[in-house]
Amino acid sequence: MSEPTERSPYGRRKRRGGDDATNADSPRGSRLYRGETYYGRPAIKPSHWGWLIAGYYFVGGLAGGAQVVAAVADLIAPGRDRTIVRAGRYLSLAGLLASPPLLIADLQTPARFYNMLRIIRPTSPMSIGSWILTVFGLFTSLTALAQGIEDLTGSATARRVARWSGLPAAASGMLMATYTGALSTATSVPLWAAVPRALPTLFGLASTASSLAAIALVAEAAEANEETHWRIERLSLLVGLGELAAHAAILRAWHMRGVAGPLESPALSALHKFGMVGLGAIVPTAIHAAQQLTGRRTRAGTIGAATATLAGIFIERVVIVFAGNESARRPTDYLRFTQPRGGATIQCASKGNDESA
Amino acid sequence: MVERYPTAIPPRALDYTGAIMPQLMPDEAELTAGLRIVPGRTYGFFTDTSLCIGCKACEVACKEWNALPAANLGLTGESYDNTAALSATTWRHVAFVEQISAGGARVTAMQPYQSNWLMMSDVCKHCERAGCLEACPTGSLFRTEFGTVVVQQDICNGCGYCVPACPFGVITTSEVDGKAHKCTLCYDRMKGGLEPACAKACPTDSIQFGELGELQGRAERRLATLHERGVANASLYGAPGTPGTTGGIGPLHAFFLLLDRPERYGLPVAPTLPSRRVRPAILAGLATMAGIALAAAATFMGEKK
Repeated sequence: MSEPTERSPYGRRKRRGGDDATNADSPRGSRLYRGETYYGRPAIKPSHWGWLIAGYYFVGGLAGGAQVVAAVADLIAPGRDRTIVRAGRYLSLAGLLASPPLLIADLQTPARFYNMLRIIRPTSPMSIGSWILTVFGLFTSLTALAQGIEDLTGSATARRVARWSGLPAAASGMLMATYTGALSTATSVPLWAAVPRALPTLFGLASTASSLAAIALVAEAAEANEETHWRIERLSLLVGLGELAAHAAILRAWHMRGVAGPLESPALSALHKFGMVGLGAIVPTAIHAAQQLTGRRTRAGTIGAATATLAGIFIERVVIVFAGNESARRPTDYLRFTQPRGGATIQCASKGNDESA
Repeated sequence: MVERYPTAIPPRALDYTGAIMPQLMPDEAELTAGLRIVPGRTYGFFTDTSLCIGCKACEVACKEWNALPAANLGLTGESYDNTAALSATTWRHVAFVEQISAGGARVTAMQPYQSNWLMMSDVCKHCERAGCLEACPTGSLFRTEFGTVVVQQDICNGCGYCVPACPFGVITTSEVDGKAHKCTLCYDRMKGGLEPACAKACPTDSIQFGELGELQGRAERRLATLHERGVANASLYGAPGTPGTTGGIGPLHAFFLLLDRPERYGLPVAPTLPSRRVRPAILAGLATMAGIALAAAATFMGEKK
């Protein structure tokens, strides 16, 4: 390195003394990034999100997915899988009620939470999400209320109200289950920004899987009939297979964009492998598949799969939030991630020192 | 630069020769920066790092005018840097890049101007399309009549979403008051006809304040001059078509002339506007849920009881 050498990529001679500053300009910016940073200091700022937001991702997603499952079950075979419909609607209400406290507690000026509904800003998933939560909350409350009246009085009117208000609740539930992926990816954080489509997809599958797991536990407690159990089993298996594919796809995308670094730290790596993917997808899907193939369903199998799913998907939210913050703290990840792609040419200072990265 | 400093004293300056001025000088920017500040026009900074001597007068002037506390009274050990990064209380950060130690060998050849010690006064870029502004759910961040981006702390609820949204790591929330803070391009001063504090304090005119279009022309000419004089690695960052303006962000209203590749100053070469990912993300999510709903419908339709 200390000998003057000749560099040819741009057809120009350049003297290089050691770690020289004797550079010639380059006509294009897309040259190799060698890991230069400003003293290794972060190039962007991490979010302040932590357990509260991870918790919200979990309960909000569960609430949204449960409403979708309940609405579909109610529409396809009215009056048949009452346990699924009832559990879905009440679980949705529970998840909904837990959401605002988590979100407000996360604000750094919580007393001003209502400013979230001051404007509608379509470029901001935070704004979109505030309105989604509002609409979802309205219809979910109405649906649960009507369901409650029906359960107590057997009123046919209440049943009809629940069915109709359950539709907008499910539609906004679809957004509840996935918009948190948009919220994460519409930032500059490499780990999140690298997967604008894969992250909401994974979140949608994870949300629904957690809803189904919670519904399965309620159905087990309520001693629902065997057919109902099998329908939950089958749908859980389908969603679980989708999750496995989504995990593989997102991991591949992270590696291809060179932003998977945070998942290699010992703690996050273990949580990712064993918690997020293992408990959240592999273990429950294996149990569901085994029960499906043998045609025998056991109480222990269902409860085990559901518990693993809930634990794994909570860990998934935690991993995504904390690994994202770690990703923002890694300047080489961001500066590499923001190199020009696909032959883009941007005029730029040619180069600085030639330290090898 | 002739265009900014006429050799003759402007006649209007002679109205204020006393040690203490009787009142605020109307349109003071006309005397210090050579322009009247008019609402509706776009203003910005051109920070020419080839002129920066690392005196940190901009940091001090900024903190003085905006009543911001000092964060670190010592040095970081990273050359002469003591503020380390832009933050809620540091809106100008002078970066020091030493190009002398890599590989362990001493450098024998030096570039004209600034040799191997580069200084650069970093600041909020007041992007044409600002990630922070687009992320703000309360409308606290807004675009002013001068084309700058400003936080209204009386509306901000500290959700902190602007922080990871900023492609340049500028805006930060304060633990003291729980609101977001960043450079305002001296919104209050501009309203009073004054040049922003950092630009006024800069002794070498490394920080130049002016109308954006005029500054961009000035920067092009300066770049051509430097290239002519043999400073081959000088380049613009944030001017139209240069690094930093990619991915929908557009020209930066505070832009730079750099003497090394942007990453050395901690600046991304081709950042993207975060809001570009909103639509694909929402649509992907909805498609996923629609697929799940179909799968659920098929499952529940299955066999009859």
